[in-house]
Amino acid sequence: MDRNVAIVGYRMQSAPDLVTSRERLTFELTRGLFDDLGIERTDVDTTIIDSNDFMDGRTISNVFLDPPAGVYMRDESKVEMDAANAVIYACMRILSGQYNTALVVGLALTGYQASPYLYIEYTLNPTYERQVKLLNEINAAALQAHSYLDKSGYSNELLDDIAAQALANAALNPNQARRISGISKDKVAASAMYYEPLRELHCYPPTDGGCAVLLASEEKAKELTDKPVWIKGMGMSTETYYLGERKLYKSRSTAEAAKRAYELAGIKKPEKDIDVAEISALFAHQEPLLAEALGLLDEGKADKAYKDGVTAIDGKLPLNPSGGALGGHPVSVTGMMRMVEAARQLRGEAGDNQVKKAELAVVHGQDGVCAQQNAVLVLGI
Amino acid sequence: MGAPEETYFATVVPMDFTYNYRVGPYITRYLDGFKEKKILGSKCPGCSLVAVPPRKFCGVCSKVMEEMVELGQEGTLENFTVGHVVIEKGKLSPADAPYILGLVKLEGATSSLLAKVEGLSPTEVKTGMKVKAVWKEPVEGDYGDLDHFEPV
Repeated sequence: MDRNVAIVGYRMQSAPDLVTSRERLTFELTRGLFDDLGIERTDVDTTIIDSNDFMDGRTISNVFLDPPAGVYMRDESKVEMDAANAVIYACMRILSGQYNTALVVGLALTGYQASPYLYIEYTLNPTYERQVKLLNEINAAALQAHSYLDKSGYSNELLDDIAAQALANAALNPNQARRISGISKDKVAASAMYYEPLRELHCYPPTDGGCAVLLASEEKAKELTDKPVWIKGMGMSTETYYLGERKLYKSRSTAEAAKRAYELAGIKKPEKDIDVAEISALFAHQEPLLAEALGLLDEGKADKAYKDGVTAIDGKLPLNPSGGALGGHPVSVTGMMRMVEAARQLRGEAGDNQVKKAELAVVHGQDGVCAQQNAVLVLGI
Repeated sequence: MGAPEETYFATVVPMDFTYNYRVGPYITRYLDGFKEKKILGSKCPGCSLVAVPPRKFCGVCSKVMEEMVELGQEGTLENFTVGHVVIEKGKLSPADAPYILGLVKLEGATSSLLAKVEGLSPTEVKTGMKVKAVWKEPVEGDYGDLDHFEPV
């Protein structure tokens, strides 16, 4: 990339119900971030707001956020997909040379305001799936989980191992919405069955959340922080919507997005080079499935990797040391939260979730049924 | 995160409106086929894709799928899940009884169709089973005609 772009600061909030309004959440995140960095709104050259109009129940919902986001008479635009895409958009604006700072704000009140399952129902084809009334987000994910387990001959127990690890990590993390004390594999296996093989604790919880990040050019970043985290690579890719035409046990679009991001970052052997991964796995099976697409895990070796603790916080390749999306999934903010969690790791600020060596991280965000669209970022210090 | 000190005025805002979508002739032909208990797919001239339900455009080739082909009534259960819950209008609740949903690859198709699978216990269902279409009587030319699949 022609310019170096860094993450210089962040704020996030997440809970099953934040008992707040969109405006208040936006203000607390942005004003808090300005105060952290000692800047005012006029120091922000461009702002990208990421939220979903369907979830917000109003069209072009960013029009209500000019007072709390500090964008009155400023340069502002909107993204409706996972906010990992908004970060890429903001980064590109800085790369254009026209801007030196870019604020990204993502928010979703999916725990209280409207059901996340309703949101996915309305992403389905209105003239077919919504007429036939069979498909939904969770049974689609269950088909994907079944396909993934079947392909490599894994038992359903693998899902319990994955979820228990993620939820134990989430329990340590004050930024997470679902923190279950004393979580164990047995508790996961005893949770309610939704669609086989997926149980309640294999699936993300409905979550309220928001996140604000300031990106800056190299020169500006060095003025604003001693701990810049550099965006070294980024890529996105989308595959077909039609589930019946996809090989559900793999994520080709994640692999494509990762290829683009790794090329920019000059990474040839991700499994060796990457120290930590924050992946938007909304369902337990998606964590190894997406890690394979990101070139971090070998196909067919997921069960051994989880059993041997390779993917744990203190393992050789920690996956979602933050707890990932099983600890909270505010729709469309999740990928950006993964990025902030990765940045916390690289800055050595991850507290009880801190991994030993964290110099290079990969971050993933997704949209659509069974991760149809995927965005990948590579971060480094 | 504790609740903030001030009280929030909460408003319930229902939405009630209608969208009118133009779908094109492919679904019309698919549903016309149902009136004769036929299942139609569309074939891509550029690759081997035979899509069901049929649609006009192939994403891989960026070509129009002009040819309609009749598919078999029987197929293979490629993948399945057993549902223990239902989701209606975004609300998840327990199902009355476990039920099977499967992706069925019909003879002559390269894509799979999501359908209910009945006539066997959820504990007996296996990937790779041969299944056949069961039609509602009488057929009316709507999506509900292709009621479910059952083991051959």
